[in-house]
Amino acid sequence: MKKRTFALTPRAATRLRFAAILGVLGPGLVSGFADNDAGGITTYSLAGARFGYDLLWVLLASQIVLFFTQEVGARLGLATGQGLAGLVRERYGVRWAAFMVSTMLIANLGSIVAEFAGCAVALGLLNVPIVVSEILAATVVVLLLTRGSYRRVQYLFVAVGIGVSLAYFVSAVLAHPDWGLAASSLVVPRLSSDSLYWIAVVATVGTTITPWGQAFIQSYVADKRLGPEDLIGERLDVGLGALLTNVIALFIVVASAAAVYAVGIKVDPNSPEAVKHIAGALTPLAGQGATYLFAIGLLAASFLGLGVVPLTSAYAACEAFGWETGVDWRLREAPAFYGLMIFFVAFAALFVLIPGLPLIQVMFFAQVGNALLLPFVLVFVMLLSSQKDLMGPLVSGRFLLTVGWIGTALLVVLSVILVATSVLGL
Amino acid sequence: MLYLSQVIGRPVRDNLGESIGKVADLIVAVGDRYPPVTGLVVNNNGREIFLHWQAVTSLDAGGATLGNMAIDISRFRQRPDEIRLKRDLMDKQIVDIDGRKVVRVNDLRLDEVEGALHLVAVDVGASGVLRRLGIEGQWRTIAHGFRREVPERYIDWEDVDPVERSIASVKLRVPHKGLAELHPADLATIIDQLSRSDRVGVIASLDDEAAADAIGEMEPETQVEVLEDLEPERAADILEEMDPDEAADLVADLSDESRVEILGLMEKEEADEVQELMTYGEYTAGGIMTTEFVAVPATLTAAQTIDRLRDLEPDAETIYYVYVTDSDERLVGVLSLRDLIVSKPEKVISTFMYDEPVALRTDASQEEVTEVVARYNLLAVPVVDAEGRLEGIVTVDDAMDTLLPQPSKRRLPRLFNRDAGAAER
Repeated sequence: MKKRTFALTPRAATRLRFAAILGVLGPGLVSGFADNDAGGITTYSLAGARFGYDLLWVLLASQIVLFFTQEVGARLGLATGQGLAGLVRERYGVRWAAFMVSTMLIANLGSIVAEFAGCAVALGLLNVPIVVSEILAATVVVLLLTRGSYRRVQYLFVAVGIGVSLAYFVSAVLAHPDWGLAASSLVVPRLSSDSLYWIAVVATVGTTITPWGQAFIQSYVADKRLGPEDLIGERLDVGLGALLTNVIALFIVVASAAAVYAVGIKVDPNSPEAVKHIAGALTPLAGQGATYLFAIGLLAASFLGLGVVPLTSAYAACEAFGWETGVDWRLREAPAFYGLMIFFVAFAALFVLIPGLPLIQVMFFAQVGNALLLPFVLVFVMLLSSQKDLMGPLVSGRFLLTVGWIGTALLVVLSVILVATSVLGL
Repeated sequence: MLYLSQVIGRPVRDNLGESIGKVADLIVAVGDRYPPVTGLVVNNNGREIFLHWQAVTSLDAGGATLGNMAIDISRFRQRPDEIRLKRDLMDKQIVDIDGRKVVRVNDLRLDEVEGALHLVAVDVGASGVLRRLGIEGQWRTIAHGFRREVPERYIDWEDVDPVERSIASVKLRVPHKGLAELHPADLATIIDQLSRSDRVGVIASLDDEAAADAIGEMEPETQVEVLEDLEPERAADILEEMDPDEAADLVADLSDESRVEILGLMEKEEADEVQELMTYGEYTAGGIMTTEFVAVPATLTAAQTIDRLRDLEPDAETIYYVYVTDSDERLVGVLSLRDLIVSKPEKVISTFMYDEPVALRTDASQEEVTEVVARYNLLAVPVVDAEGRLEGIVTVDDAMDTLLPQPSKRRLPRLFNRDAGAAER
């Protein structure tokens, strides 16, 4: 019997999803783009301005590892239709899920703080007081995320991001860099006894491959309801995303190396002058306007990151603990989800307001923190991707598994070196 | 009362107190209202031993004790109606039929019922997570200090429906019976929360009509995904059960390949109707109308018409209006159910029907439809072709859909859709 009445039947409610917020770009592309967030731009600029072309090999290496980690993440999403936190919960129980999620949330909180520091620095260059810029940024972000209107404005941030990337490209060309040296630095690793150099190495890795990026790609792929048949498309998407990040990062480093490092300015991330110095990478293109151009780019980059990281964090926590009960875009129906998101944003915005905080250094060290915590997340990704009963035909083959574990091992080694050199002073 | 998390990892001793391993899992037989525990899985130095429940004399938070019967460690075969609590249910997603949402299993609650241990409820509250993390007591103390309660939430096993994948290794005959009783709109919301493979599993367990109703309530984009993931024969069966106007909208959105295949598998009559509806513009009266209406010749009596209604009711979208057509199927009049019931049974309907019915052409715009429905306070408006032949009706709820904001109707281009992937292969 059909129970049809003339009452207006409620349409199935929109549920919390990335796809609904982040819209139409491929998961890999969004992830790649968001990699060049405030922390990314700052780290790449610092790397080039302080160490010239020396860190280019790290850039290339981490982009290659990025491709493989993102590919595994996407494959997990395609095969299981689940996010990372949910899978860890199902496969390894509550304790491991709680461990992984809290590790990730700590790293993400650092990233969100970095994004807000980026907003503060950018608007500071435009003479906006920090209190005003933080309140403004936090309000805008919460409104955009909770009203689900992020999709519409993300184009703006992406457009500005592309514009600024082009600006770095032009600026790099105009600065007459030593292309030969740049090319050789890209493939020949350079070692140093300078501890700041190793911190910069770790930060460069940490801003490229991130815990949130890992959770993000998987949830996004799952949320878009892509399936095993989309494997080729997703690999292409992820590859394109990694390549894009790489090219943009490359030109930021080259422009900074040629326009700042080469003219003999020694950037100290600790000093208040650091911002002006790293903005100088755009001087060949914009002259006196370089600072403003840098500010606009940094602001867009911050918002690009803010659209992704709080969302990913809240999503992961809700997934792990079964709070994914929000089926509607209303606050009271998904209190945990919105509560967490707002908490992250508010905490980060308030944190940045601590008087006398060296903002550039905060952004930089958030990336270091990301790199240190990354292995804990990657280990789960690698373990899950090798389980045949979970992955079916998409299970990691011997090649991908070897590459993945080598990448993870390298990250662990790097983190250990860093902790040994800087903390223990060995 | 016992929680699964309290017994997992506890020692298993024989009747002499000798330890033979640790509790690895419990096995229950589903089917009953509260599934009884039928077996114990013991972890003996990494090796799993299956014990029949009769061998167990006691089980509590201290561990399990076995009786004095000889332990039969011959491999205990898991029967089709049995599930392992830890492996198959713990931490998995389940559908809370009562709350109509998808939740995660934090713990499982066992109770003595009529002298035997049964699975009675699923713990989905915060207290379950805290217990698993081993900090329930401490947390309660802290919460008490703030005069707050630790939220406890249980779902009675009867209101639980395991999500397909979590029990993929077990073919259950029982589950999903509860799902079919949900309102289609709630079912659609639940299905929308599941991953693709789970969705197919849930749909597979519903009968065609329930599946059709649920799919009808989904977002257009989800509808297409679900339909394309199903076996084409099954998709065709479900489409036949849907209202032709909904089916036509859906079929129009399918990829060319699936559309041809699925239409080919449908009953000819239904497929023709759907194809005819697809020829109308999406935002016209023809595009939103349904072809399931009641039309009778003017020569019938009131009693005969009511008999006809009885026969046709299951298929027609509305029976509040009966349309009267001539031999060329041209619309000549309309009757309301009320007219029929209050008239004398032997009266011929042409004598009391309303013979100047309001009707719209198939190419009338959606806005015109809404306007006419609103102006004349109609529950449905008939749609006719250029010659005045009755082609279908638009019911008030379909007409009102145009008034509601429909962001999802706006199709967004996808960078990597299924078609692109298929082409590359």
